[in-house]
Amino acid sequence: MITVIREPEGQTLTFAKAGSVRRLLNLLGERCTSVLVIRGRELLTEDRMLRPGETVIVRSVRSRG
Amino acid sequence: MKCRRCKAPAQVKLPSHNTGFCPDCFFRFFSGQVARAIKDHAMIAPGERVLVALSGGKDSLALAHELKEQGCDVTGLHVYLGIPGSSDASLAHIRAFCEPRGIPLLVHSTPDDGLAIPEVKEALKGRPICSACGKIKRHAFNRAAREGGFDVLATGHNLDDETARLFANTLRWDASYLSDQGPCLPAEDGFARKIKPLYRLSEFETACYSFLKGIDNVVAPCPYSSGASFTGHKVLLEDLEHTRPGAKIMFYENFLKNGREAFRSVAGSSPALTPCARCGSPTVRETCGVCGLRRMVAARRAGLFVEDGAAGLEDEAC
Ligand code: SF4
Ligand SMILES: [Zn+2]
Ligand SMILES: [Zn+2]
Repeated sequence: MITVIREPEGQTLTFAKAGSVRRLLNLLGERCTSVLVIRGRELLTEDRMLRPGETVIVRSVRSRG
Repeated sequence: MKCRRCKAPAQVKLPSHNTGFCPDCFFRFFSGQVARAIKDHAMIAPGERVLVALSGGKDSLALAHELKEQGCDVTGLHVYLGIPGSSDASLAHIRAFCEPRGIPLLVHSTPDDGLAIPEVKEALKGRPICSACGKIKRHAFNRAAREGGFDVLATGHNLDDETARLFANTLRWDASYLSDQGPCLPAEDGFARKIKPLYRLSEFETACYSFLKGIDNVVAPCPYSSGASFTGHKVLLEDLEHTRPGAKIMFYENFLKNGREAFRSVAGSSPALTPCARCGSPTVRETCGVCGLRRMVAARRAGLFVEDGAAGLEDEAC
């Protein structure tokens, strides 16, 4: 299972299967240039694999007022 | 994916440049884009003093950070709006950003100037607050630049902001706005030169830069925000970019090269500006729009009615 925190919404989602970042973005309906996928201090490109038990932040890049 | 330059693992994939970079090589790319914008448009001459408008958002902070790293003489300006639940957090955030970087910070408080945004909102009775707020902020930036003797006023607008605005102006074929849009507007009529050194970088690229440089995200967005400006246009352009990588920068650069000049000849000259009788800011009327708003707020406090203070407010977001 992997845990995803959406920002700025602050919502937490879980997914049963790990897999690639590309797969995660598809599930979330996001483009690779519309969000940052953050693991710790690192940004993950689409081809990276997520490991079971991991938590990533998916942060929208759009600025808000 | 490997970094194109050094073959370390890439952290940033850039489809529009058909490449990917590790953090250090991405910083080089980012700095290169800013340096190119500054050089191509003669934005900052050596020794000039730059005032950077700091809203607290990632773009303006990334801009101040990068200009400072490039050796520019940078001062930050924050316009404190007096909005409960948002303005204090923004100011604290900006202070915490500027201090360790040695960036001097000027703060203009609109409540001290009779223009607390919640009061302006009340006085406007349902008319768009963001348009008035934008006007008040621009007025404060121009005034601070003029009074502080700054040569240049820099804002953190990025490629997505600029192309979305260009697209909106094009949909209306607004000759006056189209003749006047660009990343560097020369100083004139008592206004400092206005520059947008991030105009070649997308929202995604500035977000990556801010994250990798450890620039924190703003915590408390404005409660009056109805979302970012031109969101619909940005989504359309993002769809276009997805199928034609590089389309946004081409749309904008080709406009600057081939389009803008054509609109200059049809737009006609703008009306002459004279100093506002109350505050001295350049205006086409006897007193400027912001002095009109201040009068409305004061009248509302005193229980009086004033008409035209809100003239010329359009829909606009932060
Ligand atoms: S969303 Fe932005 S422009 Fe609108 S009131 Fe808030 S700070 Fe001002
Ligand atoms: Zn590299
Ligand atoms: Zn005035």
